[in-house]
Amino acid sequence: MKILSDFSNIFKRYDIDLEKVGQAKQISKDPILQSIAKFVVEGDEDGISPAVDEALKTKTPLDIINDALIAGMNEVSRLWEEGVYFLPQVILSSDAMNIGIAKCEKAMGKSMERKGKVVTHTAEGDIHDIGQVIVNALLNANGFEVINLGADVPVDKVVAACKEHRPVMVTGTALMTTTMTAFPKIAHQLKAVGLDIPFICGGGAVCEEYVTSFDLGVYGKEASQAPGMAEDALTGEKWSAMRGKWNG
Amino acid sequence: MNAKERVMAVLNHQKPDRMPCFCANSTVTYEQMEKVQAFWPSGHEKGEDMAKQALAAYTVVGFDAVRVPFCQTFEAEALGCGVKSGGTEGIPGIAHPSPYTLNDTPVFPNDFLSRGRIPELLKAVRILKKELKDEVLIIGGIIGPFTIAGALVDTVPLLKASFKTPEKMRPFLEMGQKAGNMLAKALIEAGADMISCEDMTASPDLIAPKTYRDYEMDYQTAQFEGIRVPKILHICGNVDGIVAWMGQTGAEILSLEPKASAQLAREKCGPDIILMGGVDTATTLFMKDVATVKAGSEESIADGIQMLAPGCAVAPGTPMENLLAMLEVAKAH
Ligand code: B12
Ligand SMILES: [Zn+2]
Repeated sequence: MKILSDFSNIFKRYDIDLEKVGQAKQISKDPILQSIAKFVVEGDEDGISPAVDEALKTKTPLDIINDALIAGMNEVSRLWEEGVYFLPQVILSSDAMNIGIAKCEKAMGKSMERKGKVVTHTAEGDIHDIGQVIVNALLNANGFEVINLGADVPVDKVVAACKEHRPVMVTGTALMTTTMTAFPKIAHQLKAVGLDIPFICGGGAVCEEYVTSFDLGVYGKEASQAPGMAEDALTGEKWSAMRGKWNG
Repeated sequence: MNAKERVMAVLNHQKPDRMPCFCANSTVTYEQMEKVQAFWPSGHEKGEDMAKQALAAYTVVGFDAVRVPFCQTFEAEALGCGVKSGGTEGIPGIAHPSPYTLNDTPVFPNDFLSRGRIPELLKAVRILKKELKDEVLIIGGIIGPFTIAGALVDTVPLLKASFKTPEKMRPFLEMGQKAGNMLAKALIEAGADMISCEDMTASPDLIAPKTYRDYEMDYQTAQFEGIRVPKILHICGNVDGIVAWMGQTGAEILSLEPKASAQLAREKCGPDIILMGGVDTATTLFMKDVATVKAGSEESIADGIQMLAPGCAVAPGTPMENLLAMLEVAKAH
């Protein structure tokens, strides 16, 4: 047993009465896949690269992606939703997962097969992209191809990307009352060019009432809803039906 | 009682003639800009227009305090960040890329107080002091260490570092601490009666409560050290997880969003702390009507709020009648 010479640390740890305790579940029975998943759960960007290289000697890239990298990220989403994990951990884990996926894709000589495309963006004039970063991570972890337009994206660019990529849905994040006004413009232009796809709008500034005031708009309250919404869109569900299901 | 006496009464734990109503953050709106004929971007850049727009909080709305500045970029700009103008309608923000990475050693500029738009900010306070003759409280705004650090190295890398390499945050937190402290002292010398510190990136929406306790809290405390006027600490979002520590930084007043519990803040921080806050600025004050604003304000007061305020910075498109509705509720208490 380690002998503690400094007790201050122990006491410090236990006064966090508002932090929840919880633990990551076991992700795979296979020790190699479990160890890869653990790098994702712990958000270890440095450790994951050599570990994936090692695993690729005995496992297929696809098994590593699905049963370790993505499975690990799903566990992270769960811990975040339960309030055990905090935002920085979700970002670290997502970065670790992406490093791992890139390695596996290189080994396959092609990109992993994705369910469908989703265009994501943060509104023009708005640099608050953390919500979008999480949405990207969760969509990625659920097998969607994310066309990430980043932050501060002009209306025309969003519409052009939708024309080019023909995504199953498009998302927007806005945290400012001065920037969310871009959403109805985007919806309008998408309709005008015949792209009748669900446009999920989220972010601190917007509320359900606002988003459902224009066609195509579906309100996204939590990033964790994004994969489920994308699944619906993938099956061809219309924005109006999705609104009924996800919004009040 | 005049506006300033009203606020000071609450601070001295005496009974005011009615509940004070003002904001820890910006309250400028397009309607007020029209009324005082001073506009953006000049209100973010020139002392005269800044003072005019700040005055509107008192002369047009009727709040008990005025406040400068209206954005969160003054310290960051003086420390080397680029600023992206918001034009006539938007609020300036920090430009990309950030001036530092976490591996750099930042240097604090000797001429900090004469850099960027800080001289104009100080000029605005001097104008306000002359105009208001000590009858209305003047609030000088500073930014918390964590948020300044986020501007210096970019927010996402800072968030990652908070778990991975937290020690690397220290030089940047120290820069932020020093910048805010120096700016606060200069604002007081120019005539500010109160200092309000906004630390939006230190919100538990973004960082873990333990990051606040183990890192930010010490720098925040140091930033407030030696500031002889009352201090407001404003952190966005639901701060229930850190409110006990916010109460230990030396701030006399905590400014809370309605997502946070005033009752819990009272329990955790004791009887001396003053609590200000009120309805959500985006989803209620900006989006909803007078009745909803009034009901929300009453709810906040019932929760233990002592000075009614917008929960955070007022969105510039907020209708005047909603601000007045808030004030009306305060007047009835
Ligand atoms: C962090 C922060 C910043 C950081 C941003 C860093 C970054 N890279 O994002 C920095 C310091 C740079 C910053 C700058 C500014 N900020 Co700021 N900032 C915040 C803060 C504290 C947190 C926002 C955040 O990231 N929350 C966490 C994320 C995860 O939440 P979220 O994006 O809403 O996402 C959640 C949901 O909405 C949803 N969601 C989001 N998108 C989507 C999409 C889909 C499909 C789905 C399903 C769900 C979904 O999922 C997420 C949760 O699960 C808020 C206050 C607050 N507590 O909300 C102010 C706030 C957003 N900022 C504000 C302002 C005014 C500014 C500045 C103008 C200030 C300034 N002068 O510096 C600049 C903006 C410049 C610009 N042009 O954009 C205001 C906006 C006011 C308004 N409503 O109009 C706020 C509300 C604070 C306030 N009231 O004053 N800010
Ligand atoms: Zn706030």
